[in-house]
Amino acid sequence: MNGLRVLSTLAVLAVSAACAAPADTTLTISSSGVGAEARLLRRQLERFAAQHPDHRVELRTTPDASDQRHQLYVQWLNAHAADPDVLQLDIIWTPEFAAAGWILPLDRFDPKPDDFLAAAIVANRWNGQLFALPWFADVGMLYWRTDLLTAPPATFAQLTADAARAQREHGARYGFVWQGARYEGLVTVFLEHLGGFGGQILDAHGNVVVDSDAAVDALRFMRDSLRGSDPVVPQAALAWQEEQTRFAFQNGDAVLMRNWPYAAALLRDPQQSRVAGRFGVAAMPAGPGGMPTAALGGGQLAINAFSQQPEQAYALVAFLTAPEQMLERAREVGQYPTRPAMYESAALADALTVAADEVREVVQHAVPRPATPVYAQLSEILQVHLHRALTGQQEPRPALEEAARDMRDLLKRTGLAP
Amino acid sequence: MSAPTIEKAEARLAWALMLPAIIVIVAIAVVPLGWTFWESLHFDDLRMPWLGRPLVGPANYFEAVTDTRFRQAIAHTVLFTAVSVPLQLLLGLILALAMSRAVRGRGLLRVSVLLPWSIPTVVVALLWRFMFDSQSGIMTALLADAAVVPNGFAWFVDPRAAWVPVILADVWKMTPFVALLLLAGLEGIDRSLYEAASLDGAGAWQQFTAVTLPLLRPAMTVAVLFRALDGLRVFDLIFVLTAGGPGTATEPISLYTFNSLLQNLRFGFGSALAIITFGMTFAFALAYIRLLGRDLTEPAK
Repeated sequence: MNGLRVLSTLAVLAVSAACAAPADTTLTISSSGVGAEARLLRRQLERFAAQHPDHRVELRTTPDASDQRHQLYVQWLNAHAADPDVLQLDIIWTPEFAAAGWILPLDRFDPKPDDFLAAAIVANRWNGQLFALPWFADVGMLYWRTDLLTAPPATFAQLTADAARAQREHGARYGFVWQGARYEGLVTVFLEHLGGFGGQILDAHGNVVVDSDAAVDALRFMRDSLRGSDPVVPQAALAWQEEQTRFAFQNGDAVLMRNWPYAAALLRDPQQSRVAGRFGVAAMPAGPGGMPTAALGGGQLAINAFSQQPEQAYALVAFLTAPEQMLERAREVGQYPTRPAMYESAALADALTVAADEVREVVQHAVPRPATPVYAQLSEILQVHLHRALTGQQEPRPALEEAARDMRDLLKRTGLAP
Repeated sequence: MSAPTIEKAEARLAWALMLPAIIVIVAIAVVPLGWTFWESLHFDDLRMPWLGRPLVGPANYFEAVTDTRFRQAIAHTVLFTAVSVPLQLLLGLILALAMSRAVRGRGLLRVSVLLPWSIPTVVVALLWRFMFDSQSGIMTALLADAAVVPNGFAWFVDPRAAWVPVILADVWKMTPFVALLLLAGLEGIDRSLYEAASLDGAGAWQQFTAVTLPLLRPAMTVAVLFRALDGLRVFDLIFVLTAGGPGTATEPISLYTFNSLLQNLRFGFGSALAIITFGMTFAFALAYIRLLGRDLTEPAK
């Protein structure tokens, strides 16, 4: 596919030639181009430029859809494009880009990783080096109805019982809703059940352990929530992503929901939400043998390995990940800081729309997805087999055994097996 | 001048006249195909540039034939084609007969029958997805009222039921196309044959089986060939309607190829899948024309 690479190189060159006016002094960053998030970033970039008058800073807007942004980056970086200098990465891309040699190790800039969430730092490391800094944290959490329940369930068994009782007594349509469509979201939901039952996808040495007894128990619990004798999760959820679950919860149809932090601000808005003022957030429950677990997502900032000005690029990364900018981000777009120390401050409590101690509780339980360059492929294998088990095409154990076998084959084929 | 030289000159002229077409076909069909084949002999994963792009010979093909997901995708593709094409042929024939008989409002009838065909596939897929939505879909509600399915039935979550909207959408959209082809065939049948048949005492059914069906065969052959080739390459309808789910229960070959090639960026393996798909479709078309399609390649008697 050399032709393709040449073509994409040409396209990138054409784009960079058109955009880069004073070539050396323009620093560029790729991020979202829409809504409040882009407005906030533009303002922060202006502040940075004011502090560094020798630089112009430009925002390269990239698609918000994760897959599309990823595809675009792969094309750019395959073509060794020097622009953009700073890349907003999804947390699961860092090892892939690092192994490909597309982003710079940050250690030479002395980045102080201990100031950040440990789970996010783990996700941004590859081969013992740090390749990106966590910009904001997305965590999976449990939304619960304060008018139907007295407290959020602490265990999965209690969750099922609470959901079933509220359905019976209050006529709630659904007990518990989560993202069950065959996509990345399903893996994050599974990860939270998995952690709750004490399982993992890869162990600390990188061995595939997704066919452990704990994992089978977790998947069996999810399957039984859907297909058991007294299901609390609707079958329709197996085609749902974040927004469908939010609609169900915000229309007052669901007792409990697993979702990301973005939903909180929308659910609080009485114009569109029937549950405004009647919901709380909590950490996901735990099962026997596990801990409450929050899948960790969010934006990371990394430096393009082909950048002509890595020092300045790092200055921008450091600026954007400083507490001041993080606080502003929490206040204006509801994205959580990645610096644990900030959760102790009253300023953050004022900035957040949900109680800061509840958020801290969830963030403390954040768990990264496997940090491997082939995460996307591992995830796809898992998505297919999870969905087969949840839609009743396969029993949980054989589904996970097959997934584990395919994952081990993949790791072996790509030379990444431990 | 002797005859052979004239023939030679004519042959040369014929080649010269065909040359532009041949060049175009080579440039847009043969070259990309050869390129894809060459790529399919390599390990080339854009996500793993550190592994390089080594020539691995038939390894990608071995992986494909031992891959259960790929074998299932072939089965799904064949199932989809084998169910939807006969339905379209049958319904298309009925529609064509009705359209050729109708005297009043003939033009209006033909236009309205063609409507589904004129809607883009992606729109059709979305329409049927909405109609079969578990919560708000009109088909789900109607079928639940008729006690065919339980209330709020989740079609796209059931590995068998998910095929229902897929097949129905394809039949709905493409039957008009088949009907139009068959209508053209019907119009081409000489009226006097029916007069002769009725003078010989043939009833309506006998006329249909002895005159209409045999003479309609070339049109039916073309319709089935077109539809089957489309069926074997089905992509957009299923991509939008079920995305191949639940699990991979409705995933056709083209979707799996797309997934390997453009989602996972496995260019070598994905190219091998594309070549296999091409080979299967091409073999089907050849065999079909050999066995049934004599009328297409030979002059009418």
